[in-house]
Formats: sequence, C-alpha cells, structure tokens
Amino acid sequence: MTRTAGIPTPVEPGRGGEPGLLAGWLTSTDHKRIGLLTLGTSLVMMLIAGGLAMVMRAQLAQPELEVLTNDRYNQFFTMHGSMMIYLVMTPFAIGAGLYLVPLQIGAPNVAAPRTTMTGYWLYLVGGLIILSGFFTTSGAADHGWYSYPPLASSRYTPGAGVSLWIIGVGLVALGLLLMAATVLWTALLKRAEGMTMLRMPVFSWSIVATNLMVIGAFPTLLVAVGILAFGRVNPDIFTDNVWNIGYQHLFWFFGHPVVYVMFFPFVGAVAEVLATFARRRFFGYKFFVGSQLLFAALSMSVWGHHMFTTNESSDYYYSLMSIALIIPAGIEYFDMLATVVGGRLRFTAPMLFALAFIPQFLIGGLTGIMTATPAIDYQITDSYFIVAHWHYTLAAGSLFGLFAAVYFWWPKASGRMLREGLGKVHFWLWVIGTNVTFLPMFWLGMEGMPRRIPSYLPEDGFGTGNLIATIGAGLLALGGLVFITNVVISFLRPRWAPPDPWGGHTCEWATSCPPPRHNFDARHPVPPVRSYAPLLDLREEKERQAKAGAG
Amino acid sequence: MPFRSVFDQIFTIWTAIAGGVFVLVTAVLLFAVVRNRATKREHLPFAASENHKVEFGYVVVLGLIVAGLVTGSFLAISRLHSGEGLAEEAMAGPSTRIDVTAFRWCWEFAYAEAPVTVTGTCTSDDSPVVVVPTDRPVEFALTSSDVVHSFWIPDWAAKMDAYPDDVNELRMVFPEEGMWRGLCSEFCGTHHVTMDFYVRAVSPAEYEQYLAAASVAA
Repeated sequence: MTRTAGIPTPVEPGRGGEPGLLAGWLTSTDHKRIGLLTLGTSLVMMLIAGGLAMVMRAQLAQPELEVLTNDRYNQFFTMHGSMMIYLVMTPFAIGAGLYLVPLQIGAPNVAAPRTTMTGYWLYLVGGLIILSGFFTTSGAADHGWYSYPPLASSRYTPGAGVSLWIIGVGLVALGLLLMAATVLWTALLKRAEGMTMLRMPVFSWSIVATNLMVIGAFPTLLVAVGILAFGRVNPDIFTDNVWNIGYQHLFWFFGHPVVYVMFFPFVGAVAEVLATFARRRFFGYKFFVGSQLLFAALSMSVWGHHMFTTNESSDYYYSLMSIALIIPAGIEYFDMLATVVGGRLRFTAPMLFALAFIPQFLIGGLTGIMTATPAIDYQITDSYFIVAHWHYTLAAGSLFGLFAAVYFWWPKASGRMLREGLGKVHFWLWVIGTNVTFLPMFWLGMEGMPRRIPSYLPEDGFGTGNLIATIGAGLLALGGLVFITNVVISFLRPRWAPPDPWGGHTCEWATSCPPPRHNFDARHPVPPVRSYAPLLDLREEKERQAKAGAG
Repeated sequence: MPFRSVFDQIFTIWTAIAGGVFVLVTAVLLFAVVRNRATKREHLPFAASENHKVEFGYVVVLGLIVAGLVTGSFLAISRLHSGEGLAEEAMAGPSTRIDVTAFRWCWEFAYAEAPVTVTGTCTSDDSPVVVVPTDRPVEFALTSSDVVHSFWIPDWAAKMDAYPDDVNELRMVFPEEGMWRGLCSEFCGTHHVTMDFYVRAVSPAEYEQYLAAASVAA
C-alpha cells in the first residue's frame, strides 16, 4: 500500500453510458439476444415470403388471370422460394439452436459470441440485399431459387436483381455458417457439469446434427455462388456445359443437406414437445440420436436425386442412397409414436402442432420415396407434384414443428404466455389450410401442370385444383393473422410466465422466464444432470420421497 | 424407354405402400390421442424409455423394407433402359432420329432422315407439331441453344433436360396413333409457360408420306 503513495488514485474510466435499445441489441454478446434477433428477423421474412405466395395463389386461382406480368410473377416465385429457404427456415433452424442450446446444456453463453453476432449481421445484410432487388428498375431476381446457369448469367438474365441475389445469398450462407459453427462448438465443449454428450436433450442433439451438415454443405454453396458471380462478369464460361452441370452438382450437394437443416431442429422440437405433454421420458433416446447422425451422414450422398432428368447422375446409386433414408426416418417416427402411445397426453397449442407434424410430414416423406425412384421421378420432377411434395415436408412438416417450438418456448424467451385459445384457432386454420392448399397440387402435377408457370389455359383443366389451393392459402393467411394477434396481445396484456409453465424436462425450464443474462444464477442454478431429462428426474425423485414419507 | 407403362406400374405399387404406411401411422396416433388423454389416464400406459431389442428388430424390418423398395426401383430403371415386349425388340432396332433444339422460347425439330425441319414461335397458334411413326423407336436428341430447358410429354411420362453444348438422348416408342402436348418443364425465363409443342404419332406408312411431302415443300 505504501508503495502507491504519491501516485494519484486511479479513477475508474467513464463507462460511456449504457447503449441504447437498438445498439444494445445489435451489439449484444448474449446468445439469447442474438438468437432472438435471428428468430425475429426470420419470422418477419416469413411474413413477406408468405405475402408473395398469397399474390401468386391469387393469380393462379383461375385460368388466364393477370394480377402480375410474367416477369413479376417470376420474381415472386423466385423470391418466395429464396426467402423461405435462405432467409426463413434455415436461419430459424440455426437461430433456434443458438437461443436454446446454451440453455439446454447449462452453458452461460454461446462460444465466440462476437463471431456469432457477425453471423447475424451477415444474414441480415445479405437478406436485405436480396430483397433490395425489388427496388431496382429490372426488379428482383427472377431466375428461380436454385439459380441454374446459363439462365443466371448476365447474358440471359441481365439486371441487378440476380447480381444482388448472388451477393446476398453468399453473405447469408457465410453468416449462417459462422453461427452454426459457434453453436456446434458450444454444444461440444461448453456443457455444464454432468451434461455428458449422451445426456444432451434431443433438441440439442438435432442441432448438433444440423450444424454438422451446415459445416459440411454450406462451403459448397459459397463455391457455387462464386461460379455464378464469375458468370455475371463473363457469361461465356457457361457455353462450356461442364460449368452448367458442375454448378448443379455443387448446388445440390448443398441443396439436399439444407433440406434436412430445415427439418432436424423442427423434428427435435417436436420430440421435446411430445415428451413434455405426454408427461413421460422421450422413448428411444439413443436410437433417435444415432438416427439423426446417420441421417446427417446420408444427407451428403443423395444430392443426385435432384438431377435424374439431367442424365448426368447415376439412377441406381442415388436411388439406393435416397431410399436408405427410410432407416433413420423410420426410427425417428417409431420413437415419436412410442412416446405418444406410452404417454398421458395434454392437448396444448404446442402439442397440437407437434401431433399434426407426424402425419403431415409423413405425406412429404412417403412421396419422397417416389422422388427417390427414378422411374417415377422422371415424370413428377419439375411438376406440381414436386411442389406438393416439398410443401408437405417444409410447410405441413417443418413449419408445424416451427410453430410447436414457438408456442412451446415463447414463455421462456419473452416471459409471457401466449393465449391458448388463439393458439388453437391458429392450429385448426392451419391444419385445414395446409391440406386444402397442398393436397390438390399432387393431382395437378399428375395432370401435367409444370411448376413455375404464371398462368394456364381454361382447356388445361387445372382450374378446380388451383381454386381449391387458393382457398386453402386464404385460410393459412387467416391463421397467420391470428398468430400475430396472439403475439401482440401477449405484449399489450401480458400474462407473466412462471419458470416452468409446462412441466418441462430440460435445463432451460429450471431458470427464470426470460432467463438472466448468464442463463443461470444463484436463484436459478443449473439443476443436477443425471439423464437427458434432468427436471423430470427431480420430479420423479420428489414423488418417490413423498411416497416413501407417506408409506 | 417405355416411360408410361413402367411409371404406371411402379407408381401404383408405391402409392399403395405409402397409403398403407400412412393409414397405419395415423391410426396408431389417433388411437393414442383418444385413449391416452391425461384426463382419462392416471398412470402412464408404459414407463419404459427404451427397449433395444424391439428397436434393433425394427431396424432390421426397416432394412428389409429398404431392400424391397430398392429392388423395385432398380427393376424399374432397368426396364426403362431395356424396354419390354414389343418395345424391347423395337428399342434394339433402327430408330428415327430427330434433333431437338430448345431455345428461348420454342423448339426446333430436325429430322435426320430427310431435310425437314419443324419449328415455330410458340405464341398462341404457332406451336410446332412433330410427326413421329408408331411402333418404331424414336430418338429425340435434345440440345439447347441458350439456357437449360426440359423436354416433357406428360401423357407419356417422358422427361429429359436439354443443355447447351451437350446432347441428351431420349429414346421411346409410341405404340398408338394420336396427338399429345409437350412442354418445357425447366424454368427458362419470361415465356417459359408458353413453350408448348405437339407430338403426332402416325402409322409408319403415313409417316413416310409426311416426310416425302415435307421434303418437297422444303
């Protein structure tokens, strides 16, 4: 102490004031805030992409309608697909992992939060760049979400839209890659004491498998859009067909795994919701985890089934690998069904969405076996049958998983309950709307309606099916509005959520709603972890003690 | 490639299997939803959270299902490539070759056997009609002069992509006379939607007459 005599007392440097609300969020190093930014941004993007779909459904309701010109329609379907895939489902899947994985594994934060935030910025800026195409004179990108050259070259699609699309998709892919990497790092190396790999919740495991695929597949997308970028400068490269076919291989090497990126986290969420509202331990945990890893591995070897009609991919090999996906998918279905069959069910809004996911996604999966069979695929590819197929996987499937997750974890993230009644109205509108919209598309495809057409003739005979589909889309829009109303009400007239409103199984339900800055604190410590359902363990322990005491 | 008959058969079988699986899964689910309401049940129907014997057994069943489906898919592929019945002999025989060039936004059909070329603008009443003989293999040699297109005849379940700097061969037999619409099924820009053509199959004799007349006209 005496040694410091004579030296001026150090003054605490000014803290520079608390950051404002916007700066506080946009410069946050809290995984919850970065996660919520990602999830919120993707939901806003979903609203826009859904709006585009509604306009297209209006145009297709009857033959020869002209709500939009051909070119404008082409922009709408391109942007609808691009947004739903690059800006909605994929970022939501990765963002949900970012928000939930640290909470589920008892970590105070994500590893490398600044890198993670950089990932969000890249996603946001990339998304805005893609959308900014609408404000250029030639309009937004209008060449389809998989952007095949030579159509994507500056020779055949000049104008800024496609260039902006390429830059935007590149930034988004890079951002999501960073985010997936830090979340994977967190899951692998930042788990709480007692949280072994085989005690991680099912949802966290689904994120591990998802992020492994992201790391395996997204770099290829960066290479693919690099080729496209070069083709904007020098379109002559595509006169050599190897670049066209090569692009397709690179693209689908990314394109098939990304389908499962948009599926695993939602099936993981559905598994958590089913177990919670069946009031039982999830059945077949180890098989479920193993099947996700097998699924992820197989996903890297099935891309050629998108290319059977190119005559440049092996019919036999890709049919074999694609049909083999039945094994991991079958295990997952078995475990989900066994959980429901062995449970005591409570039918809350998240549970309803999770239950509907099972048969609805199944339709997408079973028609997927048809696309994996070249003799069938030659006919149905690029027809409305395919449109129906992947809307059953992504809309009737993943989107229902997404809303199961939103209704389930909303109280955790916001501290507020959503209204159950409105949630159920949303659910029924969507169950009916989804099937009324997408089921007729199977028949339209069989009758020969190709995808990506802005109009059709009265004599084509597509009128009735399309009219039904458009009515269904109206129900979906209505359901969307009910959900927005529910969200607004939860903010205006909050009903505060207790830490564990549902009787959850996993660590995030041990902490407050919303969780404190570092997820767990003295009042809400990480619970002891002895299995993949630590809170259920505690409840069962209490019941046993009560019984012993009574006896 | 006898697309239609192979497609019809395997699509019917696959749909039946898919329908069966869907009914089974949905029935189990509905049964559980009705029977397992928390208000009705005091205890869990069963508490076990794993059963490795059952699950391993189930994986074996899944493996057998995969083996069955893959076999079916492979048989269908080989039938596509080798043909069957009348078509099988015909597939091996000499074919009528037609060079098809897709372009934005219509088609050009050039016969190899005669100096005959059919094309159009694919606007309202100007879709090209390609005349082909029945009972004899027809080989469409597909290429593109600009972007990727896809040659699709929905009624015959036949589809193949057309690329620039590349030729994809689509070999098929038309077993009956008739006229069918064909279209482009790979998105190619503004007028993709109107890229229609028609295939008219006529008897070999009539086909020869057609070619002779068209050659003279040319």
